[in-house]
Amino acid sequence: MKRKLRLSRVLLVAAAILLGLVIALPFLWVVSASLQTETGIFRRPPSWLPDPVTIDNYGYVFTGKIPEAYAARGLLRSTVTQEAQYLPIGLQNSVMVATSVVLINLLLGTLAAYTFARERFRGQAAAFSFILTSRLLPGMAVAIPTYMIIRQLGLLDSKTALVLIYSAFTLPFTIWVLTLYFRSLPRDYEEAAQVDGCTRFQALRHIVLPLAAPGLAAVGAFSFLFSYDEFLFALLTTSSLNSKTVPVMIATISVNPDASYTLIAVGIVLSIIAPIILATIFRRFITSGLVSSLGRA
Amino acid sequence: MQAEIGLRPNLVRRWANGVPAHPWLTVAPVLALVALFTIFPFIYAAVTSTRQMILTLPDQTPFVGLKNYLDVLQDASARQAAVNAVVFSVVAVTAVTLLGLLVALLLNQPIRGFGILRALVLLPWAIPLVSAGIIWRLLLHGDFGAFNGLLLQLGIVHSYIPWLSSRQLALGAVIVAHVWREFPLPAILFLAGLQVIPPDVVDAATVDGAGAWQRFRYVILPLLKAPLLIVLVYETMIAVTVFDLVYVLTGGGPGSATTLFSWYAYAATFHFLNLGQGAALSFIMAAVLLLFIAIYLRLLRVGRDDT
Repeated sequence: MKRKLRLSRVLLVAAAILLGLVIALPFLWVVSASLQTETGIFRRPPSWLPDPVTIDNYGYVFTGKIPEAYAARGLLRSTVTQEAQYLPIGLQNSVMVATSVVLINLLLGTLAAYTFARERFRGQAAAFSFILTSRLLPGMAVAIPTYMIIRQLGLLDSKTALVLIYSAFTLPFTIWVLTLYFRSLPRDYEEAAQVDGCTRFQALRHIVLPLAAPGLAAVGAFSFLFSYDEFLFALLTTSSLNSKTVPVMIATISVNPDASYTLIAVGIVLSIIAPIILATIFRRFITSGLVSSLGRA
Repeated sequence: MQAEIGLRPNLVRRWANGVPAHPWLTVAPVLALVALFTIFPFIYAAVTSTRQMILTLPDQTPFVGLKNYLDVLQDASARQAAVNAVVFSVVAVTAVTLLGLLVALLLNQPIRGFGILRALVLLPWAIPLVSAGIIWRLLLHGDFGAFNGLLLQLGIVHSYIPWLSSRQLALGAVIVAHVWREFPLPAILFLAGLQVIPPDVVDAATVDGAGAWQRFRYVILPLLKAPLLIVLVYETMIAVTVFDLVYVLTGGGPGSATTLFSWYAYAATFHFLNLGQGAALSFIMAAVLLLFIAIYLRLLRVGRDDT
């Protein structure tokens, strides 16, 4: 019995290591590739660790200094190299758009969810189910009309357009999560606060929101990740550095047959830093948010 | 006079209490935003799908009834895209669900150090889909892909395999990338489901002589029905509408090997500029999706009554 237990433990640990490798190796390889010269990456088999280590690729993206390794390869890569230089601006656009969407979700989403959780009014059920079922419509089905709306509003190629679209796409989930969250909180505190002279709004701000902080953190993280990751609508409505986000930029670079693979790797590394930091810091909230919201659907 | 005095303090008190004059005030902004990007696009796409609307012929957009739908259903390449999408969805949803379940069972073991793994698991799901796709493009590349290098070093292959540009392998390669990206969510949901199962229930089955498989099949699995339903519905939606991955991995090729339904709708709209057909395709996709969800609900409801 004891030996059997030990064996199963060994198997479990082996499975865990395998899982860890399957998750981590692709990430580690991209980091390694981004620190290599183009010739290192083309070796067969490739050099797993950068040899020599070079930060020239990053240097190029941020300062425009062409890595010596490319200068030798001639003009072939001129178009791509320029695209890669725009990445810092794309990162800035992405973070600005995602942060704005988070703020809108926290403001409008909180107010609406609090109303749904605590008030009774005509049409409430209809409004609630309309907001939720709106997400069943596949993005591709509404892509063209959404483009027309944005054009009509004169918002093509603007960050505002992305903020509007992403807010419309994230608010339903935010309201769903927060409504469940608010409903799970006891009313007593709010009522006590109101008896003590707090207004309803003050009760929301000082009593309910601190209690709901984990839920707010979860919806904040979700709406950030969604907006930061979104590709189709960014691809359709953006056209210049004014609003292009990171996914659009790295997709454009990567489907270019002339693309330098080490620069593509740099692009990926830069694109995943923010979501990885966010997912790591907010892991508990993301997990519990996912579980409580989807678990009760 | 009396009535007026009676009314005023009441109203004032209502405002001071911060109760909006009408709850709709707080809900309206959200409703307006969601409606703007749902109802109008929906109606517009519905109308478009019944018209001949080709961007190269902007002045001729006659009403054609269901012709776009019929054309699409009879079109061989659309049928190919539908077949690809079905193969992709069935394999991908099954793989994602099973892998998620296995990973959850693994992470549920009380072994030290697994905490790190739980943090790691979230990462493929958190990064942009486009980034995940390009990572796999670099890994599976036929000229220098790291996966090829690994297989070569392990002596499994003798020459590099063009995973993404082979007709037979490309769809499988897209599925692998998709599964790597998507399994974290099911894993987390199943893990949460496992963690609320009281240990007594499982212990009681052990005492009654149930083996590991029997405990899983007859005790644990029935208790995971709720997360299973969510996972199936959600992952089917994701798999049927997958687009970003195809865009960066294969562009639908080689030939039409990885032309999935949403990619086909995209190509009809943006490459062939046939908006009417693109809209019809999108609606067919949405209808199929709803059908799938209805079937899942039906199957698992029925299953729930049995247990």
